[in-house]
Amino acid sequence: MSSDDSVRKRAKRGPERRGAATTSMSSATTTTKTAEAPTTGPRGRTIRMAGLIAFAVIALTLPLWSTPYWIRIATGVALWAGLALSWNVICGYAGYISFGHVGFFGIGAYTTAILMQPDHGWPFFATLPVGIVIAAVFAVITGWPALRLKGAYFAIATWAIAEAVREFTTVADWTGGAGGLTLPIGPGSNYFYYVMLIAAAIAYVLCYALLERSRFGYRVKAVRDNEPAARAQGIDATKVKIQAYVLSAVIPAVLGGINAYWITFINPQSVLNTIITDQLVVMVLVGGLGHAWGPAFGAAVLFLVNEQFLSSFGSSTSYIAMVGVIVMLVVLFLPDGVVSIWGRSRRTRLVRQLLGRAADDFRSGNAAGSGGGR
Amino acid sequence: MSAVLEVTDLGRSFGGIAAVDGVSFEVQQAEIVGIIGPNGSGKSTLFNLLTSVHKPDRGQVRLFGQDITRTPSHKIARAGLSRTFQLPALFVNMTVRQNLWTAAVEGDWRGAPELANEVLELLDLAHVSDELAGSLSGGQQRLLEMGRVLMQQPRVVLLDEVAAGVHPRLRQTILGAIRELRSRDATFLIIEHDLELTQDICDRMIVMDAGKIVAEGSFEEITHDPHVMEAYLGVPAE
Amino acid sequence: MEGLAQALVTGILIGGLYVAISVGFSLAFGVLDVVDLAVGMWVVLGAYAGVKAHDWFGVDPFIFLPVTFVVFGLFGWLLGPLIYRVRTSRYALPALMGLAFTFGVATLIRGGMLTVFGYTPRTVQTDIVSGSWSLFGIVMPAIRVVGFLFAVIAVAAFLFFLYFTRTGLAVRAVAQNKESAGLMGVDVKRISSLVYAIYTGLTAMAGMLMGAVYSMTPELGLRYTLFAFFVVVLAGLGSVLGVLVAGLFLGILQALTTTYVGADYTLMTVFVVLFVILLVLPQGVSKFAKAVRT
Repeated sequence: MSSDDSVRKRAKRGPERRGAATTSMSSATTTTKTAEAPTTGPRGRTIRMAGLIAFAVIALTLPLWSTPYWIRIATGVALWAGLALSWNVICGYAGYISFGHVGFFGIGAYTTAILMQPDHGWPFFATLPVGIVIAAVFAVITGWPALRLKGAYFAIATWAIAEAVREFTTVADWTGGAGGLTLPIGPGSNYFYYVMLIAAAIAYVLCYALLERSRFGYRVKAVRDNEPAARAQGIDATKVKIQAYVLSAVIPAVLGGINAYWITFINPQSVLNTIITDQLVVMVLVGGLGHAWGPAFGAAVLFLVNEQFLSSFGSSTSYIAMVGVIVMLVVLFLPDGVVSIWGRSRRTRLVRQLLGRAADDFRSGNAAGSGGGR
Repeated sequence: MSAVLEVTDLGRSFGGIAAVDGVSFEVQQAEIVGIIGPNGSGKSTLFNLLTSVHKPDRGQVRLFGQDITRTPSHKIARAGLSRTFQLPALFVNMTVRQNLWTAAVEGDWRGAPELANEVLELLDLAHVSDELAGSLSGGQQRLLEMGRVLMQQPRVVLLDEVAAGVHPRLRQTILGAIRELRSRDATFLIIEHDLELTQDICDRMIVMDAGKIVAEGSFEEITHDPHVMEAYLGVPAE
Repeated sequence: MEGLAQALVTGILIGGLYVAISVGFSLAFGVLDVVDLAVGMWVVLGAYAGVKAHDWFGVDPFIFLPVTFVVFGLFGWLLGPLIYRVRTSRYALPALMGLAFTFGVATLIRGGMLTVFGYTPRTVQTDIVSGSWSLFGIVMPAIRVVGFLFAVIAVAAFLFFLYFTRTGLAVRAVAQNKESAGLMGVDVKRISSLVYAIYTGLTAMAGMLMGAVYSMTPELGLRYTLFAFFVVVLAGLGSVLGVLVAGLFLGILQALTTTYVGADYTLMTVFVVLFVILLVLPQGVSKFAKAVRT
């Protein structure tokens, strides 16, 4: 969905040449009126490119001119932007609302932490692929049955899965139980900033390439919009959904691994806390569901607000309550996220239709085969 | 010549009501067979059984001699059977053009842009090609369903009321598209309420009522069949 | 053998409370078409209402039960229309947004409770009953028996309302088919608010009883949401009888796990069973629901 606008503009050129533009950190330029779109196309692309380059320069040189505090904040923003992206893949693109994404984050964190314990002594970067594999396998095993479920069923199934992971790490010995695990002290904050930034950037490029510029994206969106029709076009909906779920699972696993090394101490309360899922939901909703850079924007804003809360109140419990209020308000008054304020009406409609479709799915899921449900 | 599609004693009931009740028929290569019958007579359910949207309780479906009774929908589609849906089932958050491309996503992906342009011209959808499918009028949505079928370059086509609500001029377009595909040896099974249209194009008709086939034959034959009059007008057969 | 009998009795006593938690939830699901992810939060909030009734006013929670019902019913009465609005808004705002909304409610309640009550586990104190009764060597803590009886009474009253009153008929009509019910002159919006109010009131009462049996922390809300969902999935949507059976089954499953495997593994067992049910019966669940509805 993210850059449907730009895809539409370039549509006449066909699949193989689609998507000359970049991911869109600056696709705000697409807010031009529809009538002007054809003429502003190339200029818009130049502005987008310029914006992206400016962003890249700022991001890459940040440690040279910024303070450690802001580097830590920027690392956190990169982390959350990547996590929000992963949630957007399964929710915005595939149309499945997952309340269990924290489970994959925790799996990545624990994989890295366990392998880096002195008795294993793995180097940090070797642990990340292991985390990817474990998260992917876990996503297949849990996604295969869960993705046959609709709407709320899937949401709660994933919630339960994440909760089971947390229970397990709390009980098991080799995860350190409730006490958690301590990792070796890592290199400095600049190191983690760059690692996190690169990981998030790779995630964005990967998702953009797969979901906006390949057949796979068409398959995923087709299944989201209308599963029976997608099957009728020869698309193996089950496989596509699992692939999308795996894609959305490996990103938090990698980020979780990096995060574990960064914060050097993890326990179930820190890396498997449901507040992480809460945050993802609110970031993506605030930023704009199914929008490529909306979640990154939401992640940045929410993370800064969270930091502010922590430094002002010293506890994050009131922050949890506030997150809840924001979710409620966004759903009631801004269902397409903050981006819709300056986005075009078409964008607004698009998301609403996606949501309407999800509602239909939900209804037909309740009464499969009855031709419409209630 | 062996039958392209063979249906034997196909049956499925929902909540104790037999929607399709022991239906058997064959369709030959390049034949156009019309299926008519009152609402609720099981026509669309039959299509759903043929494409594995629903699993039949009994019976068998063979496509080109292969048993596809319990084959997943997407494999049936890949085997060359394409269909439209009674209620247009478009990818509403994609543009018209992207809908067409998606129909080729498991087929000729490289040739998709060119073919899509042809289809857009043929179905008079070029001026809305970059609109979202969800914003199309009812008639245009049916045309787009037809367009997806064309994109799949199918060998067997099931059309479910594809001309309903379509402008009479575009109806001719659809008929033209059907004839074009048939000239390439495609086989058709068409559900249609418009008898005129079916008369125009169908080689043979099947009449369904209450989940069963009540008559079969040429248009002339079935319009003079008392069972058909009963099914349609409620006049008891004498 | 005695262990088994003990586990069964314990399970049934707790299962009664699960039924009380789930029966309103199931109906709200049917009427509003939204899974209320806050259901467990209402349970915990109800328990804290009992705790605070004792702390602040010195009122015995069991006497406080009707007040709980009214107060939480009022919350629900105010919240129901919002959910209804999200669910039926002009631009077809969907189950997805409805889910997100109740998720927001759940998060708000959880954060609010953590802020106000903290992480310390609390138990609802009551002076009405204490000690335990013993029958054929099976120990039945009095509080659990009384809690069970209250749950039975509450569920019975709820079912009476649903099946023997005019409004209850309207509620069932809406749960089965909103459009037809609307055409027949039923005010779907009002019924939705009413159902949500009754559901929150009932669930909070059950939560207060639950808080007398188990200690509560705000973090436990999610667990009760999952339990309620477990019961509804197992029962099949809209099946009241199914909720009775599934609620008792959950209680027994929990008691058996605690007895034979260990209390630490209760949740995991429940999750695994839930997962297997979803795995084996995803169609079965909806099929069941359809059969019940038609």
